[in-house]
Amino acid sequence: MKVNDLILQTVTTLLSFIIIIFSVYLFFAGHYTPGGGFIGGLMTSAALVLLLLAFDIKTIRKIFPFNFMTVAAAGLLISILTGVAAMFFDVPYLTHTFGYVELPILGETALASTLIFDLGVYLVVVGIAMTIIQTIGESE
Amino acid sequence: MAFQILINVVIAFSWMFLKNQWAFPDFIIGYFWGLVILFLMRRFLPGRFYFERVLAAGRLFFLFLRELVLANVQVIRDILRPKLKIEPGIFAMPTELKSEWEITLLSLLITLTPGTLVMDISDDNKILYIHAMNIPDADQAVAEIKNTFEKAIMEVTR
Repeated sequence: MKVNDLILQTVTTLLSFIIIIFSVYLFFAGHYTPGGGFIGGLMTSAALVLLLLAFDIKTIRKIFPFNFMTVAAAGLLISILTGVAAMFFDVPYLTHTFGYVELPILGETALASTLIFDLGVYLVVVGIAMTIIQTIGESE
Repeated sequence: MAFQILINVVIAFSWMFLKNQWAFPDFIIGYFWGLVILFLMRRFLPGRFYFERVLAAGRLFFLFLRELVLANVQVIRDILRPKLKIEPGIFAMPTELKSEWEITLLSLLITLTPGTLVMDISDDNKILYIHAMNIPDADQAVAEIKNTFEKAIMEVTR
């Protein structure tokens, strides 16, 4: 019994873009407003799961050709390295700093090193959530 | 269509370069002059003048809003009636629309109209299977859908 998933697939392609841009907004909003790496990662995983529901697992593998366990490991490595980097400046492990940087287009922007740590958290969450979903989906 | 929009954006940017002002209002002014120029030169461009399609999309949106209100009024009437006077059934409706976007849009609009609901699409994307609350009105429903929604969608996409 094969059904024609035309409506679901067409709507999903449009919606996944909106969900992903919302997740990126949440990721960058985390410093002053609700949001952050964890919820941003979960939202990105939600978009990927929606794509998994509409299409099949092989298509998603073709579109995102990376191993999600590697993604989680890379995120953990980034988070640890931001903590270690603080020790080179003679401050305790995981000390974070921020500063105002003059960027060419954006002008004066406040950049915090917490963002890199958050990027690590984001990658860990996406990697682990997708690994769980794919493992459950593949086991017959 | 995309080519015309690109030309319009390029004209708007040229306007901003010439005025040497980088603000959103200047972009809007440049875009407006680009629209005027494109309208005057529309005979030289491939395809239809794209702003017609924008207006058609707006008309489709208002049609959708009207149908949404009508659908919910009809459902309220059916619920509040002491005796149910419905004869449910499923009928097939051949469609002339081709692309995935057109068919999806048509299906969603049909689902939001009073008493009809798209259940499935045939594998060659040519026939929609629609569940109707009142099957005696099915032929009338087909005619209505063809005259309003299909026409409005074709106005936008062709």
